Amino acid sequence: MKIAIYYGTETGNAEMLAEDIATELEDAHETSVADLAETAPEALKAAELNVIVCSSYDDGDFPASAKPFVEKLNDESPDLSGVRFAVFGLGDSEYEATYGFGSMKLADLLVACGATTLGERIVHDAAGDDLPEDLALPWLAGILETA
Amino acid sequence: MSAKIAIVGGGPSGCYTAQALLKRAPDLEVDVIDALPVPYGLVRYGVAADHQGTKGVARQFARLFTRQKAQFFGNLRVGEDVSLDELRAAYDAVVLATGLSADRPLGMPGEDLPGVIGAGALTRALYEHPDATDLPHLGATPVVIGTGNVAIDVLRLLAKTPAELHGSDLGAGPSDWLAAQGIERITVIGRSPAAAARFSPVMVKELGELSRAEIQVRHPAPEAEDALNLAAAASSGPLPIEFRFETRPLALEATESGLRLTVETPEGEDRIDASSVISAIGFTCDGRLDRAGLLAEAEAGAASRLYAAGWFRGGPTGAIPQCREEGQALAARILEEISPDPARPGRGLFAGRAGVVDFDHWQQIDAQELAAAPEDRCRRKFARREDLLRPALSQDE
Ligand SMILES: Cc1cc2nc3c(=O)[nH]c(=O)nc-3n(C[C@H](O)[C@H](O)[C@H](O)COP(=O)(O)OP(=O)(O)OC[C@H]3O[C@@H](n4cnc5c(N)ncnc54)[C@H](O)[C@@H]3O)c2cc1C
Ligand SMILES: Cc1cc2nc3c(=O)[nH]c(=O)nc-3n(C[C@H](O)[C@H](O)[C@H](O)COP(=O)(O)O)c2cc1C
Repeated sequence: MKIAIYYGTETGNAEMLAEDIATELEDAHETSVADLAETAPEALKAAELNVIVCSSYDDGDFPASAKPFVEKLNDESPDLSGVRFAVFGLGDSEYEATYGFGSMKLADLLVACGATTLGERIVHDAAGDDLPEDLALPWLAGILETA
Repeated sequence: MSAKIAIVGGGPSGCYTAQALLKRAPDLEVDVIDALPVPYGLVRYGVAADHQGTKGVARQFARLFTRQKAQFFGNLRVGEDVSLDELRAAYDAVVLATGLSADRPLGMPGEDLPGVIGAGALTRALYEHPDATDLPHLGATPVVIGTGNVAIDVLRLLAKTPAELHGSDLGAGPSDWLAAQGIERITVIGRSPAAAARFSPVMVKELGELSRAEIQVRHPAPEAEDALNLAAAASSGPLPIEFRFETRPLALEATESGLRLTVETPEGEDRIDASSVISAIGFTCDGRLDRAGLLAEAEAGAASRLYAAGWFRGGPTGAIPQCREEGQALAARILEEISPDPARPGRGLFAGRAGVVDFDHWQQIDAQELAAAPEDRCRRKFARREDLLRPALSQDE
């Protein structure tokens, strides 16, 4: 199965994780990595597994590189039925009231456009001790088993 | 043919530029040179001790040296330990990303009185920068001049209880110092109207959530939804933090008990007694490099093979996301303009030099600092240069 990995980032942590995921999977799967800033919603394909890594900013807002993509989802409401995606969030529990909101809002928008979520969205906590890849790789392996 | 690029300054601007260069052209020889024995600039010594999440970008920067094959040359101050001309002779391009470390002067009578300290100097002391001055005595009623994010960082640290500092990397000395200050009220002075203050709303919200803070605002923004007004409504601790907007500092004088600040307000001139004054009105060049001259050379075109990045280039305002964006743009430009000359020795320039810190030495320091962290801290920094240099010097022996 082809796995398309997208990232929405502001300081590059989500990009690094997206690359780590691709490196982990590239022996067994065909993979691609792209910035959401350079991605149109129609690029998400039903035949691929779409993995999205997205952080949060300023009071639960989207990171800069996810914003153009989000705008297109809002403005064009593309029909994404048949598209399957899994979202991994990057956040910081110090921002208690809006922890993981960027990834949550993005997942909600995709669902509103008809896409289907795979697995449970989880969020890496920058204030915690775990490394993002130590959470994301087992999470994705679980999703791949059922996909 | 692989080009050789020296990046002077291992803060966010230098590191993001290096990252973008190596991403586009993995075979480049990219060297990051820093005056300090440790990398990452203000990520280690400016970003607040209690904002560890923001420091997470250091993991990306570490990859530069562990995977992307950049090399770190620490404890080398360009302009003193090695000249810019030497660097330019050795590399195909030189990027100046040395930041702006000096506190911008208040520019008023009394600015040099004892009891006046810049926020840069204060945060360097709090975060145990090896060149920091001693922590000053702030007294019961410090006044902070400036309403940017750095001012809010200082306010937050001064207002936090010891428990609210758990999980940070604030050192034992600075933590004891904070607990011993006995601050009773803090006044914050800003020239602009409240609605035009530079701090970010999220930072103000966080301040309002502290258990001890009681935020008060003179000349508040008219909108009830203004972040500071919300924080004032939400906070009710024992430590008043009063923001006074549209208030211009005119002069400082010494009194028997401390300092007196004369200010101009919409109601006329006023005097504020202060046990100390912390200026947080921005940063400027420390004068060790000729910034204006070097920027002019860098702007003059590709023939100078000189580039400038980050705060050194654009002034002291952008945050880390902007360093990344600009670093990517600069990397693209350098790759368009560079013309490699194999005769240039690159990092060969430093061969056999004693006292140079490489990335492996930093990883030893990093591991030791993490391992030495007490229960309620995530790291225990080495504060003295000699301790930071130990791995490099023991190798030289
Ligand atoms: C107190 C404070 C708190 C901040 N908090 C945040 C925050 O929470 N979030 C955020 O996004 N931004 C924050 N910022 C802004 C952020 O730190 C800057 O945007 C960023 O550090 C600028 O990067 P730089 O690489 O240009 O400079 P710097 O980070 O200052 O790096 C410059 C490097 O150059 C080195 N150097 C200097 N002179 C020489 C020389 N002659 N030779 C060799 N090396 C040299 C220095 O040692 C240093 O390592 C904060 C800034 C300050 C001052
Ligand atoms: C100013 C600022 C605001 C933030 N706001 C939030 C937030 O509201 N919710 C959250 O979960 N994380 C928040 N974060 C944490 C980031 O999402 C986290 O550091 C993440 O690792 C950044 O990843 P990136 O580099 O890919 O953008 C914030 C971080 C900063 C610096």
